[in-house]
Amino acid sequence: MTNSSEYTINELMVTAAARELQDGDLIFIGVGTAGRAFTLACGIPIAAARLAQETHAPNLSIYWNNLLSPDLEQIPPRLTQHYLTTWPTSAQLHNCSDKNDMLSRGMFDVSFDSAPQIDRFGNLNITAIGDYKKPTRRLIGCLAQTDHFAYVRRPLILTDLKKRTFVDKVDFITSVGHLDGGTSRTDAGLRPGGPSRVITDKAVFGFHEETKEMQLLSVHATSSTEEVLAEMSFEPLVNDDVSATQAPSSDELRLIREVIDPRRILLTT
Amino acid sequence: MKSKLVHLADAAALIPNGASLTIGGSIIRRSPVALIRELIRQEKSGFTVLAYPAGFTTDLLAGAGAVDRVEAVYEGLFQFGFAYNFRRRVEAGELDIRDFSEVAMAARFRAAASGVPFMPTDALLGTGMAEHNPEQIREISCPFTGRKLHAVDAATSDFTLLHGYVADEYGNVQFPVARDADDLDPVMAKAAQRLIVTVEKIVPHSEILKTPNLTYIPHTWVEAVVEVPFGAHPLSCDGFYDEDEAHMQDYQLLMKDGRFAEYADRYIRGAVDHAEYLSAALTPARIFELSVR
Repeated sequence: MTNSSEYTINELMVTAAARELQDGDLIFIGVGTAGRAFTLACGIPIAAARLAQETHAPNLSIYWNNLLSPDLEQIPPRLTQHYLTTWPTSAQLHNCSDKNDMLSRGMFDVSFDSAPQIDRFGNLNITAIGDYKKPTRRLIGCLAQTDHFAYVRRPLILTDLKKRTFVDKVDFITSVGHLDGGTSRTDAGLRPGGPSRVITDKAVFGFHEETKEMQLLSVHATSSTEEVLAEMSFEPLVNDDVSATQAPSSDELRLIREVIDPRRILLTT
Repeated sequence: MKSKLVHLADAAALIPNGASLTIGGSIIRRSPVALIRELIRQEKSGFTVLAYPAGFTTDLLAGAGAVDRVEAVYEGLFQFGFAYNFRRRVEAGELDIRDFSEVAMAARFRAAASGVPFMPTDALLGTGMAEHNPEQIREISCPFTGRKLHAVDAATSDFTLLHGYVADEYGNVQFPVARDADDLDPVMAKAAQRLIVTVEKIVPHSEILKTPNLTYIPHTWVEAVVEVPFGAHPLSCDGFYDEDEAHMQDYQLLMKDGRFAEYADRYIRGAVDHAEYLSAALTPARIFELSVR
């Protein structure tokens, strides 16, 4: 255990995510753009996956964008086209149909996802704010996030806690989490699953075993339950015994800083 | 085999107003941008666009007011940000948008490629995409188990427009050995009703014969092939050149302020053909910088 002044929030998010990964997992990581979006979509997930490989999950594999098991010792300095085309990797399947088949066959164990709207049952919206046909803000669409939530066994939501992000009900369901709670997800015909954890910059959430409502599990040492609730537009379930999020160990910090991200290209912002 | 080699303007002239177009590539990679510019130059409009992730080409068509409907998994310009023209038209309620997830959209292209009217999938159960699009996404039961599924309709279109790497004059289009395979071009090609392929370079047929396994689009599928060097610019063409970041940033500055006409005057309507476009948009030094070796 270490003191909270000895690690960053990003490092805490890395260790919290790494603890959700299991040996033998196949993990899907998307491509973020720049700044905080890159750190959340790529930086923290890659660091978490590598930390898990270096500790309890040596047989974990990563599918990053369209690359299966790329050489993570040689992460390109920039993600312009030629760097992506020539990045050493074990497999780049012939076209996206192969990745889609792997998804719907249920070959993926974990994915990392985020959205501008997340609701109390873990449904995500990355399509439209307001009315779908004439939205106040059109967003990016769906990509494969819908498919992650339909097929991946334990999707992880990784995002910063914000009141306008954590809403009671999403305006549009791009990706079905636990739908309306209870058994509504499987009643709708979806396979069992749905998001397993929500890892944020202030706290970690799970979903209640029966009602499937978002449930506060632990609060980071740098925050408080009051502060967490103030950043949400709905009230999550809160146990009487909400714990402090487990701090990174000194060994985990050493691995992150010296082995995984010595050039500080993953955990930038 | 007969030659399918045509000029860019003649290829674009095949496409009538109101056609449905499957556009290949992905967001900011290897889309047939020169062909889309030529369609705008010829003042064609009323298109329906089908894509996997849509990006720059769809945003150009939206800027020109040439697209009425889009069916895709994404619309944006990746690290360069929002597709402003597209977004503006959706937010004004002027563009009929049909969203699909990657698994569902790929299933639709594979239905078209297999010649069947639909594909079953459980990717869209419970989603807003299914709720808002009963025309193309309908609940069915598995005839064997009774399990709830959706039928998604085949993604057939009038024309399929792809940008490839190299081809011979007959339309045998080949991959390089190392490529970025994050697209559906091979499936879209097979699904095409009428297929137009622009390529970076036309090579002798004898070159194609040496490595037939690299042919991903055979001549029998192709109606027209066009040689268009830097035909994806300002996007990237993996193995040939990187995305032109400076051009894309300038584009975004203009589009953010709704200044498509200015951009079109400089690069599309103001350039009579692709050669003039290249003179307006690139210098020899810049071509050297963007080219990969």
